Amino acid sequence: MTTPAIKVEKLSFSYGNIQAVKDVSFEVMPGEILGFLGPNGAGKTTTIKVLTGQMPPKSGRAEILGMETGHDDPEIQAQIGVCFEEKNLYLNMSALENLDFFASLFGIKDANSMEVLRRVGLADRAKDRVHSFSKGMRQRMMISRAFINSPKVLFLDEPTDGLDPVTSATIRTTIKEEAERGAAVLLTTHDMFEADQLSDRVAFINEGEIVALDTAENLKLKYGTRSVKVHLRDGDHVREERIPLDEPDSSVRIAEFAASPDLMTIHTEEATLEQIFIELTGRGLAG
Amino acid sequence: MSLARMLKVLRKDFALGPRSPVFLYMIILPFALTALFQFAFGSLFTPQPRLGIVDEGTSAITAAIREMDGIELTVLEDAEELRTQVEANDLDAGLILSAGFDEAVRDGEQPPLQFYIGGESYASNRIILTVTALDVIRDLEGSEAPVEVEVVSFGEAGLPINLRLVPIIVFYALAMAGIFVPGSSLVEEKEQGTLMALLVTPVKASEVLVSKWAFGVVLATVMSGVTLALNGALGPRPLDVLVVLVVGAVLVATLGLLIGVVAKDSTMLFALIKGTGVLMFAPAIFYLFPDWPQWIAKLFPLYWVIEPIWRVSVMGGAISEVWFELGVALAISAVMLPLIVWLARRMQAQMAAQ
Repeated sequence: MTTPAIKVEKLSFSYGNIQAVKDVSFEVMPGEILGFLGPNGAGKTTTIKVLTGQMPPKSGRAEILGMETGHDDPEIQAQIGVCFEEKNLYLNMSALENLDFFASLFGIKDANSMEVLRRVGLADRAKDRVHSFSKGMRQRMMISRAFINSPKVLFLDEPTDGLDPVTSATIRTTIKEEAERGAAVLLTTHDMFEADQLSDRVAFINEGEIVALDTAENLKLKYGTRSVKVHLRDGDHVREERIPLDEPDSSVRIAEFAASPDLMTIHTEEATLEQIFIELTGRGLAG
Repeated sequence: MSLARMLKVLRKDFALGPRSPVFLYMIILPFALTALFQFAFGSLFTPQPRLGIVDEGTSAITAAIREMDGIELTVLEDAEELRTQVEANDLDAGLILSAGFDEAVRDGEQPPLQFYIGGESYASNRIILTVTALDVIRDLEGSEAPVEVEVVSFGEAGLPINLRLVPIIVFYALAMAGIFVPGSSLVEEKEQGTLMALLVTPVKASEVLVSKWAFGVVLATVMSGVTLALNGALGPRPLDVLVVLVVGAVLVATLGLLIGVVAKDSTMLFALIKGTGVLMFAPAIFYLFPDWPQWIAKLFPLYWVIEPIWRVSVMGGAISEVWFELGVALAISAVMLPLIVWLARRMQAQMAAQ
């Protein structure tokens, strides 16, 4: 049986009287991407900070590759890659110098930093100082730095937050490649589209607690309703009708609309992760 | 702790340093102060008197002047060239010694002597060269001086002002390189979040702190050594001076690390340095005012590094004279260590909680 790359049991953390993470438990297997989906302040980043050894847990336990975490253990740190939400690069160093330096800290003698930069589309700017980079380029640098040691466990905190669609797509591709290589990925995001696209499983976290954890498909089946959306011409206006698919007369109603001369468009619809999150927590992801 | 990882962080700091304007300012300031003080109070830009000689024989005067410290001698072949150089102020004065001059003087013949003086030369240099030439000729003649000169000094006896300014310049070199560089380097890592990026690699917080401290020790040693050399104050025992400077650098770098750990951002760093600057600078002032009660200087931590530097480098003493002071300096550094460890843990927790 494969050992989980990340194993968290009843993990809790509080900032003074504020309970940021409450009895959180989950596992991430090698090669799996777990999307940690929740609004700002839900406890996603705190969980990552505890798992990466930046803060010790107040209670519960967490293991990375079978080693207990919560303190700065070089053996664990050597196996992980972290992409922070805040961009924390050496601005006065070039892209290449940044990667070579961090590779050296992992004891990598012949780091293929150029290849890593090529993967994120920054090879042609390798010798430019990072302070001249745009926001998107810096984010790609952050991702490439997290990959420099070919980590077995990747922690990605909002890796595409505020980026343009092209840069986001590039980053998502590289994340998928890392998972295919065998890295376990814990991805925090409040972007339901990203979580849906990338994650093998999704954990909804709200007010420090995991309220649901399953594949996106199962969550949609379990908590969402499938429907068909129809647009019909109604004089000078367009009328929208929604027909739930799990009602007894659904097929009859759809057939009627399909035969109508006023039919303009017809689409199947499934619940989004955001809708399910709202249903489960009573709040949206953007907050 | 891993020495290899510490060296990697240290190497990165040395590579990044010259790219930072603050770092450059800190390096340049002691040099600028040296230049300013030397210009104002003499030595660096005050040229030695320059004398040119055309020696048509092999005069003992030329040999005697060549032996003298403090006179820059140029021997020329051609009288016309000598005149040209004096006219152009390339030389302050010129002397033409004809063949057989020495013998003629010894025989009491009073041979003619041509002595050129540059119109643009310093009056002090003219006097020095004229008097020196007359003294040497009198020696050659073997005659006694016609009068006995009684020298009466006015003003306060003691060291010249340019020497008493050395502790101030060395203080700046030590403080800038030893306190400001590691402090600002650590604060910059905190502000940019790169410290957190380092701490999720195998690098430990203690390794980063020791690297920053070593960064300050190396820079402070080099900068204060170079500053002393520029001021001609390395003393007769450079190895002793080196030991003293290293101990001084250890104290200031520890202080710098303490300030860096306490300061949350650059604003706080500058406030701390400004706030404590007077206390740090105070002992250097006492060297300018020897009449002040000197025991007061001992109340300030940096006295225990400035005093050994003063005695071993400027005054030319041996290191054995300052073991006590060096011991106190190391003890102060050791006392700060547990405080730094405690504050560093608090800093790490605060950073993670942000």
